[in-house]
Amino acid sequence: MSYILRYFDGIGISEATRLLLTAANVEWTEEHPEWPQEKANQPYGRMPVLIEKDVDGETDFVVCESGSIERYLARKYGFIPADLKQAALQEQLRDLMFDVNHALAGRLSSRCKEDRMESEKKFEDLLALVIKEQSKLITSNGNNGLLFGDCLSYADIVSYGFYKNLLQSVVVLLPDVADIVRTMLTPEVVNLISVVESDPKVVKHTSKGNSLAVAAVME
Amino acid sequence: MSPSNASYTLRYFDAIGLAESSRILLTVAGVEWTEEHPEWPQEKPNQPHGRMPVLVEKSTDGSPDFVICESTNIERYLARTYGFLPADLKQAALQEQIRDLMSDVGNLITGYVHCKNEEDKAEFQTKFEGLLETLIKVQTKLLKDNGNTGRMFGDKLSYADIIAYGFYMNLLVSLIKFKADIVDDVKPKLTPEIVKLISTVETDPLVEKHKSRGGSLVAVVSA
Repeated sequence: MSYILRYFDGIGISEATRLLLTAANVEWTEEHPEWPQEKANQPYGRMPVLIEKDVDGETDFVVCESGSIERYLARKYGFIPADLKQAALQEQLRDLMFDVNHALAGRLSSRCKEDRMESEKKFEDLLALVIKEQSKLITSNGNNGLLFGDCLSYADIVSYGFYKNLLQSVVVLLPDVADIVRTMLTPEVVNLISVVESDPKVVKHTSKGNSLAVAAVME
Repeated sequence: MSPSNASYTLRYFDAIGLAESSRILLTVAGVEWTEEHPEWPQEKPNQPHGRMPVLVEKSTDGSPDFVICESTNIERYLARTYGFLPADLKQAALQEQIRDLMSDVGNLITGYVHCKNEEDKAEFQTKFEGLLETLIKVQTKLLKDNGNTGRMFGDKLSYADIIAYGFYMNLLVSLIKFKADIVDDVKPKLTPEIVKLISTVETDPLVEKHKSRGGSLVAVVSA
C-alpha cells in the first residue's frame, strides 16, 4: 500500500494528513498539481486529494475532503479508536476546529471592516472554546500532554496540524493571527504541541522546517 | 455494536436547521428518542461546546449518559452505530466526503447571510453557487452510476441519502428565513436524479414515520 497526497506546496489544511501518513509508517509522496489547470482532474475540483495505490499497483482508491481523508487514514491505521463512543469524543473536537478555520476564512475574504471584525470575533470565540476543551481533556488525562489515553491519537495529531496552520501558515496572509493565537494558548496546549512534535511516530516529519513548539510560545 | 436498549435525547432549536438528518437517523434506527429545546442562550454553559445540537444517549445500567455534540459528528456516530454507514472504511469514506462537501456549501450560505458588505455578499453568492453545482454534479453522477434508483449507494437507504435529504430540506425550507431568494438559487439547478433521491428518501418505509416540521420536501421540489 502506498499513498499520494495531492495538495498545494504548503502547510494549509493538509498537515494533519501528512502527520497521519507518517505515523502510519506507510510509503507516501506528495504531488503539487498545476493549479487551477488541474482542477477538472480532481474528484470535486478541489484539493487535498488522497490516492491509495493497492499492492498490485493497479487499483487506486481516491478520496477527497480533508476531514474524510483524515478520518479514513486515522481509522485504517488505528489512530481513531474502534469504539464508536471513544471515536466520537475525538471527532467532535476536530469538527470544532474546522469551524475555527471557517471563521478565519471569513476574516480573510472580508472586504469591509464590519465583516472582518465579526469574523475575527467568531474566530477568537471558537478558538477559545477549542483551547478550553483541549486543556480540560489534557488535564483530566493526567497532564501527560495527550488528549486521550497514553499514546498518540488522531485528536492529538489533528490538533498539532491545526495549530501549525494557524501559527506558521496563515501568518503569511494574516500576520496578527499568530500573535492572537499565542496569547490564548494554555500551558496544557503548549505541552500537547511539544509532546506531539517529539513523538517517535511523527518526528521524522515534524523535524522538517521550523519547530511549532518554539513558535507556540511568546517571544 | 448496536445498543438496542438505548434511548436518546436530541437537544436543538425547534427548527430544521442542522439537526434534520440526525432526526431522520434516529427515526430509521428504530430507537426511542425525544427532543429538547433548551432555553437559549441561558442553557449555553450546560452544553459540551456551548452549542447545539447535542445528542444524549441515555444509559440503561446507571452509568453516566453519553453526550456528544457537533452535528456532523452526531450524524456519523448514529449512522455507524445503526448500520447506515458501511463498516468498510473505503465505502464509508466515499459517503463521508459528500457530506463534507455539503457542509462546505452550508458554510458559504452562512458566510453570505452574516456578512454585510455587498461585495463580500456577492463573492459568497458566487462561491456558493459554484460549489452547489459541484455537489449536484457529484450526486447526480453517483445516482446515475447506481442505476438511477434514487439511491446514491447500493440498494438500501444510506447515510449519504439521508444527509442529502436533510441538507436540501435545510436549504429549501429552513434557510428561506435568512436568504429569501435561496429557492431560486437552488431549485432550478436540481436534476431529475436528485428530485428522485429526495422522493425515494421521503417515501422510504423507515423514514415515513418522521413527521418533519418542514412538511414534504417532495412537494417543495415538485411545485
